[in-house]
Amino acid sequence: MTDKRFDVRRLPAAATLAITCFVILYIPMVILVANSFNSGKVIGDWDGVSLRWYAAALQNDAFISAGITSLILASCAALVATTTATMAALATTRTRGFKGEGTIHLVLNEPLMVPEIVLAIALVIILAQVRQFTGYNGLGYLIIAHSAFCIPFAYMPIRARLEGMDLTLETAAADLYAGRFYTFRKVTLPLLAPGILAGFALAFVVSLDDVVISDFLKAPGQDTLPTYLMGQLRRNLTSEIYAISSLLLLISVLIVVGAWLLTRKKT
Amino acid sequence: MLDIRNLSKRFGRGESAVTALHEVSFSIKEGEFFTLLGPSGCGKTTLLRMIAGFEPPSGGALVLDGQDIAHTPPNRRPVNTVFQNYALFPHMTVAENVGFALGALGKRQAEIDETVGRMLDLVQLGHLAHRKSGELSGGQQQRVALARALAPKPRILLLDEPLSALDMKLRKEMQVELKRLQRETGLTFIFVTHDQEEALTMSDRIAVMSGGRFQQIAEPRDLYDQPANRFVAGFIGETNFLDGRCEGGQLILPEAEAPVPAAHDDGPVTVMVRPERVVLGAAQPGALVLQAKVEQLVYFGTDTHVHMALANGNTLVARVQNADQSDAACREGETIPVSLPGGALRLLPQEAA
Repeated sequence: MTDKRFDVRRLPAAATLAITCFVILYIPMVILVANSFNSGKVIGDWDGVSLRWYAAALQNDAFISAGITSLILASCAALVATTTATMAALATTRTRGFKGEGTIHLVLNEPLMVPEIVLAIALVIILAQVRQFTGYNGLGYLIIAHSAFCIPFAYMPIRARLEGMDLTLETAAADLYAGRFYTFRKVTLPLLAPGILAGFALAFVVSLDDVVISDFLKAPGQDTLPTYLMGQLRRNLTSEIYAISSLLLLISVLIVVGAWLLTRKKT
Repeated sequence: MLDIRNLSKRFGRGESAVTALHEVSFSIKEGEFFTLLGPSGCGKTTLLRMIAGFEPPSGGALVLDGQDIAHTPPNRRPVNTVFQNYALFPHMTVAENVGFALGALGKRQAEIDETVGRMLDLVQLGHLAHRKSGELSGGQQQRVALARALAPKPRILLLDEPLSALDMKLRKEMQVELKRLQRETGLTFIFVTHDQEEALTMSDRIAVMSGGRFQQIAEPRDLYDQPANRFVAGFIGETNFLDGRCEGGQLILPEAEAPVPAAHDDGPVTVMVRPERVVLGAAQPGALVLQAKVEQLVYFGTDTHVHMALANGNTLVARVQNADQSDAACREGETIPVSLPGGALRLLPQEAA
């Protein structure tokens, strides 16, 4: 053996461990999707293939309304988070270093480190006061909260893209009579687009999937898809819940894969 | 047309400040191919970036057509740059790249299309107008960068080592092409390079820079034949240096058999002689004659370099055209007389090497 460098792949347990992790991660999902096609009423009792639970789900008004709420929420939150993150990323890479830049970086990424439950409890206390004061009980609270914790997820790919961008391109644009705004519109933004798209997709999926904050902040009677599913779990379990979960999984996968494809094409 | 007066640049502040450019002054004439030549870190790129407007000067004036533009932002200067890495916009087609400046200036689309077509014809890339810039070869990208910078008809075109990323053969082609473009457009070019051969073949005038200062500004031939100092002599072409002194109108070289007349003040001097001016064998009248031991012959195809040792240990290199003399003119190990014709000698003030 000529190469004596440490290689984690050569450790005896590495392959076994990796395979075990993948099995634990993906087998339950395979089982879930498979069961969503079970025509039997009772979970675990296979009764043939059918789309009956998908049909049931699509006729279930509570599910449809929770689904629409989730999509609106995720779209709004991802839009706000991506816009904010784009501006933050531009401010932290395209300007001369300024005082407090490190702190801003830390504050931006704070939601990644603070336990979500803590943020949820803190928000409940504050928003309860606001609710009482304004009397407003709509989706706005959830949109604000989701936007806030989605920012770091949108920020990461955008900043990575900006840092990898050749600064001479912006210099060249200035040399070719472009003002700041023209340069941004014609050079920086188009080159940043794949990063913004990836950031948006990530924020969207993170918001779509959130339980803790949504469950704490939702108004009575209000449900997002995850909180609706949680509620269903406490009642009678039918294969419909598998169908709904499978649909949620499908949306997430489509968005992430779509964003990945678009990003890859541009680079 | 461009007057640079006492322009200087310092980076950093206080004790850590570095002076990239000491106060330099020079003028560039309309339609001139002017080259800034020097080793890396000599300040040539900093000077170019200040002319382009990417770097604010620490002091001095940049007067273009009678107006001081030292603090005008780059997008308001009638000056365009060809960047070392080309800096083509990767998300745009070749035509969009070339038309970028005109779009930024708010020209009508018809006018942009017309100019872009003309520019692409000028660099012979009309057939690639709708390709993305990333799909082009290095040489093609180079031409697009040129066309893009020429499209808005700048008063001055700045070129920052534009040929350094190309291979040798392509570089030679582009040298000819650049010179042709400059003649055809009649534009003023300021060209930055560290390659002395490139500078000699293309320029009308060359400014040799070192340590943030101008060492000499001259036409290529004068720079080669009459370098102002030892740095310029050593940087442009190959050369031999021998130390001697002048006394009463005579140049005395310790290695030489007899002094030759020299119009120079008395005192120590460095004698510079180009290898191709060194004559092997027969002593000529008015020449310094030395005895040299042939140490090595290096064959270069068109010529042979003869490395010789002088009595006091100094070395001397002669370049002999292979077309003129048979390689039997001398042999390794032989001691032969060597003549340095008086007209080939250039006397420089003595300084530390």
